[in-house]
Amino acid sequence: MMGGYGDIKLLNDDGTRLDGRAVDEMRPVEIKAGVLPVADGSAWVKHGLNVAVAAVYGPMEAHPRKIQRQDRAVIDVRYNMAPFSTSDRIRPGFNRRSREISKVTAEALESVVLVERYPRSKIRVEIEILAAEAGTRCVGITAASVALADAGIPMRDMIVGVASGKIEGVVVLDLDKAEDNYGQADLPMGILPNTGEMAFLQMDGDLSIEEYNLACEYNYKAASEIHVLMKQALLDSASRGDA
Amino acid sequence: MVQLVPQLLRQQLAELAANDERIDGRSRWQSRDVELEVDILYNAEGSAKVVMGDTIVYVGVKFDTAAPYSDRPTSGSLMTGAELRPVAHRKYEPGPPSPESIELGRVVDRGIRESGCMDMESLCIVPGESVWRVMIDLHVLSDGGNIFDACATAAIAALRTATVPAKRFDVGEDFKLELKSTPVMCSYTRVGGRYVYDANEAEELGGDERVHITLGDEGHLHSLQKGLKGVLMPEEFAEILAQAGVKCAELRELIHSKEA
Repeated sequence: MMGGYGDIKLLNDDGTRLDGRAVDEMRPVEIKAGVLPVADGSAWVKHGLNVAVAAVYGPMEAHPRKIQRQDRAVIDVRYNMAPFSTSDRIRPGFNRRSREISKVTAEALESVVLVERYPRSKIRVEIEILAAEAGTRCVGITAASVALADAGIPMRDMIVGVASGKIEGVVVLDLDKAEDNYGQADLPMGILPNTGEMAFLQMDGDLSIEEYNLACEYNYKAASEIHVLMKQALLDSASRGDA
Repeated sequence: MVQLVPQLLRQQLAELAANDERIDGRSRWQSRDVELEVDILYNAEGSAKVVMGDTIVYVGVKFDTAAPYSDRPTSGSLMTGAELRPVAHRKYEPGPPSPESIELGRVVDRGIRESGCMDMESLCIVPGESVWRVMIDLHVLSDGGNIFDACATAAIAALRTATVPAKRFDVGEDFKLELKSTPVMCSYTRVGGRYVYDANEAEELGGDERVHITLGDEGHLHSLQKGLKGVLMPEEFAEILAQAGVKCAELRELIHSKEA
């Protein structure tokens, strides 16, 4: 449940947001690929103050055997928040929230990875959130996509994680922490920038159809901007020769 | 996941050792390049990242308030947790903390605690009622060997640059955590029959026991740990202890160089 309308002021008198961004402006994003020497593929994404690192191991033998699929690879995703990633320390280990995010992230990635190329195998995707400032599931998906590509795993497309929401009745792109806590809606999406498909979709709060359409438009615009950075990160990593 | 130790690797390491060489070309007591960054994570009141070769670790320091132990009513408390999560290597699997990660957390904890570098009395808020609890979390992202030294270095660097978030807990103004000294750990692994400093992944895989030494500012010992199967002679220990004195001083200088 999102906070109520008017709980706290989130827009300045000139229509900008508390951190000075315009309504359709993203937080700064930085992406690096091939950051973990031991992993088969990896990525580091800083989005605003969020920091996520993703590692990919595999394809490898799937065990125990009961998780194997005869016709395709399984994608084993773990989304984990480091104990020091939030304002109050969180106890290490899985909770219901991280399990759900891991599940929907795995399902999103399964729709882009050419899993039928690797029957009976497993691809491990580890997403570690080192600093959280709203929107970590989206940052995690972006990082995981770059890490998979960095591992050389064939995919139809990458997935860009983006979110828009509503504050004080106004649709805005890319909620920060205060906006997420006190806003009225949050619409995270995983977008395939080349095909325009959605592989990940969640929403909570209150949006009219018109507001949804505008939020969706903001998300697609942001996805194409982030996609450029993802590709550049992979090119940089490849030219360093450590991809 | 059980890793196979190829006999060929052990043989190769033994041959290299016989010629006083190492698998990555280093000399016996030489470390890999060490990179240290501090205060890099939003939300952590102290943080540090250490890169040593292929090893990458992050350490975060968090605070909260709690009732003191009844036998020490004016003393704050310290807790160190370590996570060897599956992100760090294909050999790590998800699940409850492994004996390896518990050992890592406890050895790093002992070096800091026993050095007396933290004045626990300065972490008292209301005697008998409320004290600061300091929580260090070691987070290994890439295990390329010698995660103990990487974690210990990052932990003390994160502590030395940490701010106690008193304002957020409504108990006064934020203040810098005060540390009186800089305990530093140096670890030695038996590879090809002799001890080397800062073993890499291959050396750990094809090596034997390891020894962790934490030294304080005055060169005094504050924690020792022998890990894994294997035995050593007092003369061997004396040799690595002498080396540790030099290495710890170098690392201490690096840690101090990152303080404002």
